[in-house]
Amino acid sequence: MGKYILKRVIQFIPVFLGVTLILFALENIVPGDPIKLMAGEKKLDAQTELNLRVTYHLVETDDAGNVVYDESGNPVETPLWKRYVMYVGGLVQGDLGTSYQRKGQAVSDILLSKYPYTIKLAVVAIILETIVGIGAGMISAIKRYSFWDVLVTLVTSILVAMPAFWLGMLLQLFFGVVLKNATGGGFYLPVSADFSPYAEFQGWVYYILPAVTLAAVSTAYTARIMRSQLLEVMNQDYIRTARAKGLSRRSVIWHHALKNALIPVVTYIGNDFGAMMAGAILTETVFNWPGVGNETYRAISQRDWPIVLGSVTVIVVLVMVINLIVDVSYAFLDPRIRFDNSGKEN
Amino acid sequence: MALDRFGGVVSRRTFVQGGLAASALAALAGCGKNSSSTSGSTDTASAGGTFKFYISDPVAIDPYNLQESEGTQVGHCLFDSLVSYDWTKSEVVPAAAESWTVSDDGTVFTFTLKEAKFHNGDAVDAASFKRGWERLADPSMETPGEIGYHLAPVAGYEAFSKGEATEITGLVAKDDKTFEVTLTDPMADFLIVCCHPGLAPVPQAALDDPASFLLSPIGNGAFKMDGKWESGQYINVVRNDDYYGDAAKLDAINFSIQKDPKTALSEFKAGNMDFCQMPTGQIKELMSEYGESEDGYTVTPGKQCLTGAEGSIYYLVLNMDDPTMQDANVRHAMSLAINRQNIVDTLFEGVREPADNIFPPIIDDKANAWQYAKYDKDAAQKIMDDNGLAGTQITLSYSSGGGHEDIMSCIQADLEAVGFSVSQQSQEWAAYLSGLTDGSFQVGRLGWIADYPTMDNFIYPNFFSTADNNYSRYNNPAVDADTLVARQIVDEEARKEAYRAINDEVAEDTPIIPIMFYSHVHLGSERVKSLYYDAQGKADLKNAELSA
Amino acid sequence: MSEETKNDLEQANDELTAPASPKATKPAEARTLWRDAWKRLKKNKLAMVAIVWIIFIVLVALTADLWAPQWLGDPTAADSTTMTANSRLAPSLEHPFGTDTLGRDVLCRVIYGARVSLAVGLLATAISTAIGLVMGAVAAYYGGIWDTIVMRLADIFMAFPYTLFVIAMIAVLGNGIQNVFIAIGLLGWPSIARVFRSAILSVKESDYVDAARAMGASDLRIIARHIFPNSVASIVVYATMSIGGAILTESSLSFLGMGVVPPDPSWGNLISDGQTYLATQPWLMIMPGLAILSTVLAFTLLGDGLRDALDVKMKDA
Repeated sequence: MGKYILKRVIQFIPVFLGVTLILFALENIVPGDPIKLMAGEKKLDAQTELNLRVTYHLVETDDAGNVVYDESGNPVETPLWKRYVMYVGGLVQGDLGTSYQRKGQAVSDILLSKYPYTIKLAVVAIILETIVGIGAGMISAIKRYSFWDVLVTLVTSILVAMPAFWLGMLLQLFFGVVLKNATGGGFYLPVSADFSPYAEFQGWVYYILPAVTLAAVSTAYTARIMRSQLLEVMNQDYIRTARAKGLSRRSVIWHHALKNALIPVVTYIGNDFGAMMAGAILTETVFNWPGVGNETYRAISQRDWPIVLGSVTVIVVLVMVINLIVDVSYAFLDPRIRFDNSGKEN
Repeated sequence: MALDRFGGVVSRRTFVQGGLAASALAALAGCGKNSSSTSGSTDTASAGGTFKFYISDPVAIDPYNLQESEGTQVGHCLFDSLVSYDWTKSEVVPAAAESWTVSDDGTVFTFTLKEAKFHNGDAVDAASFKRGWERLADPSMETPGEIGYHLAPVAGYEAFSKGEATEITGLVAKDDKTFEVTLTDPMADFLIVCCHPGLAPVPQAALDDPASFLLSPIGNGAFKMDGKWESGQYINVVRNDDYYGDAAKLDAINFSIQKDPKTALSEFKAGNMDFCQMPTGQIKELMSEYGESEDGYTVTPGKQCLTGAEGSIYYLVLNMDDPTMQDANVRHAMSLAINRQNIVDTLFEGVREPADNIFPPIIDDKANAWQYAKYDKDAAQKIMDDNGLAGTQITLSYSSGGGHEDIMSCIQADLEAVGFSVSQQSQEWAAYLSGLTDGSFQVGRLGWIADYPTMDNFIYPNFFSTADNNYSRYNNPAVDADTLVARQIVDEEARKEAYRAINDEVAEDTPIIPIMFYSHVHLGSERVKSLYYDAQGKADLKNAELSA
Repeated sequence: MSEETKNDLEQANDELTAPASPKATKPAEARTLWRDAWKRLKKNKLAMVAIVWIIFIVLVALTADLWAPQWLGDPTAADSTTMTANSRLAPSLEHPFGTDTLGRDVLCRVIYGARVSLAVGLLATAISTAIGLVMGAVAAYYGGIWDTIVMRLADIFMAFPYTLFVIAMIAVLGNGIQNVFIAIGLLGWPSIARVFRSAILSVKESDYVDAARAMGASDLRIIARHIFPNSVASIVVYATMSIGGAILTESSLSFLGMGVVPPDPSWGNLISDGQTYLATQPWLMIMPGLAILSTVLAFTLLGDGLRDALDVKMKDA
């Protein structure tokens, strides 16, 4: 087991370096100089601009901290590779750098202030997804071809085909506008996040609509996987044998089929949780959610590369860890699976 | 809006008689309908209350980097500069400074400070002003500030910002209560620069713990921070009871950070916002629902929609280095073909004004309209036909989001109606801005919000050949020369005449196409007993009141 | 789902890996495979409805120029003299979906938006399929170091949060429809490559491939003539399903203002336009959303139907 984990971590290193390197390359070819953008449409005076470039290690300085100039008198730009080495060096020490556009704030501080909202939203969404998805999938499989089966299949197909941001708006329209008008303000939900001490509602109310929006597509997939897995498992020999031995259908499902059918579902939910850590840009945008997705999107459009790099770095590592946990947890769910030198078996 | 950077407030004109109207109405108020929902934790028994104010996420609230409207709004609450600008009297009035003198040669300003304390109890002394001002230009800050240019006239600024000196020699704390500023050259308007909230005093704590000062600045203003700035969420401030002046009437202000005016309005409608913007497309509807403010700048119950004129203009930038745009006939035909009234009526529901020259009427209402800055389709068609311009390719560039799409689609339709062949280039803001800067565009858009509402501030930055904001790359030596002459004219009326003459000169060249003048599109809730929102977009929250 | 779907294990697009492709068959047998598949597909009512809807949308999009402007007016240009009067009218007989702020007919814009969505769906999928096929073929056929490089590259691409990556690509390339093709196309290849790679691996060692190699056929010829036809079923199923995904991605990008450039309509930017009027004129965002929903649903159902008809098994990771 320890060997397996080590192997996975080592495999992860080139992926991680590749991802950060691609982002570094993007920073260099994307239109828009982040330093020039710092003061909006006004231009920075030359000295301020140079001071900022020094601060962000975009120009070379000598040991005394003076700017190095080339023959024609222009400051020498720090080469990409050097900055990349510096970045990775900082990472090792847990330093993600400083934001360009959020003046003087450390990237780690900014992400730390955003992550709680993204994680909490993801947790609520995952709980929804697990309960509703597995429940619907089970009903659908057990009462196969019934009205409920058809309904679940229909609803899941529709959810999968819907843009998430559109669903979010429909929910806002119904719960924030229609219900408010219809009930005279008696029963409606807030349309966007507000966690200030002066907010109208209790904090958790603000999670409902974004979590439903975020969970919608994944719930649909969970239900479908659950349904097909359960059907497949119930067709297998050992289940038939159990049934033949006179065990009740209910008992077979609960004691034998369910556990085996759950493995792929857990995999899916685990991976999905990892994906949600990236922050759902669209859901967060529609609901004005103060999470990582919103922040990263802002960072891309404002060329705040330290934030983009930092958040992607964190996401990639998080996803790796979560996937690893999911894979390792197989061993507990299914004793048939062992980790040997050939890696994962399923 | 484009240039959201705030640069201080000045005008020799009285824009509005808002003060009087507001107080008269305030007497009548207090019996407005009870809003169906109120903030949960607000103590409704006292008259103060918590004001919920919409802003978008600021760039900074630490004074050393206060540069755009949102951060400045908060900065005004937390910090008092030496002086401030009173719109009702149209003059500079004392704030943290009790009085000041100017040397005969106009280079030395000596301020005498009032007895005052920072929110943490430290005394506000001359040294704290020197400390605060130097932070603006200090290259050794974690992230150097971007508004140091305000101090450019001060002696010793350049050496300090280059890191060659350890202080700005022109800033001297004579004693605890005397702050002396020496300029390199005389500058009559320097007092106006001193109104900027960035030029505030800071306590020693700003240097000791800059990281927390950044998010929770300690100032000398009528409000103090309550917790820290939660980025993307809110900034809360509460009344400073130790304020040296008249204490604020509000208990607290909740600056609620929303992504855009649409979201803010949803919150407003849900009863969670006391001041927000009216998104385009809903202005008329909101005005009939909430009533129109009498002066356009003051919110009172039942008269809650502000539409007062602003000193700013929306125009198309024509890149004079572009081969097509070098043809004056093309520029004239374009300008004549655009139906400005339609844009104003359809997209801004008649609230904004079509622009016919560079000066917004509240800056100067006597300037001549440009010959070509009007809608005359037949005249445009004639120029097209006479010069065989049909089919001329034009690309309109702009930043995506922010509602420019609809404006550009209107303009495109108008230009195509007279025979241009038009395409749009919608870019991310960052990419658009680099295009403007390096000249890789043909026709762009800009919103010019004046740093200082003076006529010079509309002519020089936009049309002087080497000015930063001259994205048209307009180069007319006569205009340059006349501008330099005009800047030196002491007599107010004569100087204005000189600028009007420059306006006429530029008109013939049409390096930009004026589209419209901005107006407020702001909205207060019924809870607001009175709030004055000046032409420069500064809310007077110190004197604002909520109904109990 | 209909009763044919015994095995409708389906996942998010990138979850699909390692399909057990149909048993290696000789080219002649492949033809019967398709004929049988079509027979089975015809029995799947949902898939047939989906096909009819897709054909309808495609026809509408292709022929729009012939009738839509005459009936509903210009989809992009606006008339500044009558604009105020025509702005944001409620749905009526004359304007079944109402009009937008600039007085343009929303139905007409939805119709023209179909062109964008379909074009993106098809072209982006074509690009990612093409790249994916080449990468998958290289990895599977040459194996060894090539396999490692391609698969690591795929890992890197898959490790990126997808939406973020697309947005970053558009930031680099600039807004515009052609860049949307490229960005979605460039980022979609790893899943196809994995599908194709494992499809090849499963037929690579079969007798007739050995035979072809013994007869001196070139690598390219073996892949093109023998391996590709045998894995085409899983690729077709996979590609059909990605079309829907590409349409959704395009709508997200346009919603964020990074997609199609105005005044051209796309379903995503129509929703974005309508968001402002959510409370007062909700049909402005509902109608284009329904267009996306129905079209993506059709491609998904068709993909499901094809998968069952071709008996392609898609296993989870």
